[in-house]
Amino acid sequence: MAVANTYSTKKDVKEAVKELKNSFSSAENKFVLYFASSIFLPDELAAEMQSAFPDSKLLGCSTAGEITSGKVLKNSLVAMSFGSSELEDVEVTVIERVKEEDNVKKAFEKFEKHFGEEVKQMDVEKYVGIILFDGMVGAEEKIMDIVGDSTNLTIIGGSAGDDVKFKETHVFVDGKSYMDAAVVALLKTKQGFDIIKTQSFEETGKKLKATKVDESSRKIVEFDGRPATEVYAEVLGASPEQAADHFMENPVGLIIDNEPFVRSPQRVDGKSICFYCQVKEGTELSLLKSTDIVVDTKKAVEDKLDELGHISAIINFHCILRTLELENKGQTEAYGEIFTDIPTIGFSTYGEQYIGHVNQTSTMLVLK
Amino acid sequence: MAGKIKLLIDEIINTRAQGNKTVENCVRTKLILKGIDPDLFDNSSDDDPNIIEKLQKVAEEYNVGK
Repeated sequence: MAVANTYSTKKDVKEAVKELKNSFSSAENKFVLYFASSIFLPDELAAEMQSAFPDSKLLGCSTAGEITSGKVLKNSLVAMSFGSSELEDVEVTVIERVKEEDNVKKAFEKFEKHFGEEVKQMDVEKYVGIILFDGMVGAEEKIMDIVGDSTNLTIIGGSAGDDVKFKETHVFVDGKSYMDAAVVALLKTKQGFDIIKTQSFEETGKKLKATKVDESSRKIVEFDGRPATEVYAEVLGASPEQAADHFMENPVGLIIDNEPFVRSPQRVDGKSICFYCQVKEGTELSLLKSTDIVVDTKKAVEDKLDELGHISAIINFHCILRTLELENKGQTEAYGEIFTDIPTIGFSTYGEQYIGHVNQTSTMLVLK
Repeated sequence: MAGKIKLLIDEIINTRAQGNKTVENCVRTKLILKGIDPDLFDNSSDDDPNIIEKLQKVAEEYNVGK
C-alpha cells in the first residue's frame, strides 16, 4: 500500500486522533509521522497517538502551522503513515538533554542494535534520518555537528514550534512527549530518497565578514571589524536604526557551492545582531535579497519530479519566517497548491536541518 | 611547519567518502559549517593548532589516518 496522509482540524485531541486513526484504518501504519499545533496538550497527544497506533513507530512534534497535500493549516494535526512498500524497516529514538549533554552516540546505539550494523557502515542511498528538535533550546548546531561527525547518513528535519508564542515546544517519540530533546527516526527506504533544499534568496554581491561573534548566543558583534548593525545597515544604504526593517528580506548566507545556507537576523542587541543560527567567527557571508517563495518552491518541486519521474511522498520542514512572508503577501493558498498532487505533510518550523542548521529555508525529504 | 591542515582535510574526505561524490560534497559542507573551508588551505598553509585540533576530532570518529 502507498504512503497515506491525512489531517484533522478537530480541536479535541481524542477526536482529532480518532479521525487520524479512521483515515489510516486500512493502512499498514508501520511508521506514523505527525505534526501538531500547540493547541493540543503534548503529553495527552503523545499518549493518544500511542493508544491509537500501538503497533506503530511514532515520531512527531508541535508546530507553528501545518502542511498537508494542497493545504497550509493552523490549529490542526497532520500525519503520514508509511508501510512496507516504502520502508524496509524503521526505528525511532530520543536524544535527551540536548542543551547540556551529548547523548547522540547513545541514541545511535539503539539504531545499530535494531538494524544490526554500525551507522557509519549503513548504505547512504537507502537509509535516511528524520530529526525533530525542541525549537526553544538552541542546541541544533551542536547536535547536528555531532551527528555529522558520527555518520555519513543524510539527516534532515526541523525544529518544533508553538504557534509563534515562542514559549515551549515539544517533540514526541512513541507514547512520550519531550522537551530539551531531539527525536530521530531512521528509515531504511525501499526505493531510496532525495532531498529538496529551497530558499528564496539571491546574492546581492555584497559580502560581510563576521569578525567578532558570540557563538553561544548566536550573536554577531562585528562585521569587518566594526559594529554589526552599522555595517549591515551601511551595505543596504540604510541607517542603523532602520537595520531591523530589512531583516526579513535581507538575511545573510554562507555560500557553499553556489547554494546559500541562510542565517536570519532576529533582532538588534545594542550594536550587535542576534541571529536564529550560529555564525562562526571569521566566516564570510553574502548579503541576500528575497525572491518569490511560491515561484521558487514550485520550480524546485517540479524539477525534482522531472528528475525522479515519480515522488511517493514529501515531508516539508518549512521555516516559520517563510510562512509569515507568504501570509503577508497573500500567497499561502498558492503555496499549499504546489503540493496538491503529491502526498505531503510538513510544518512551520523554528529552524530547519540539512547537514547543519539553517533558517528561512524549506528542507524536504522526498521519498522515491 | 606547513601543509598539515590540507593533508588532514584530504584524508578525512577520502576516508569518509570512499569515492562517493555526494558524500564527499557533504563532508566538505560539514567542514565549512565548522568554519574550515577546504578551498582555503594548500600545502603551504600554516599549521594553525586550533584548526588541526578541530580536524583531529573529526578524523578520530572515522579512524582517519589509522
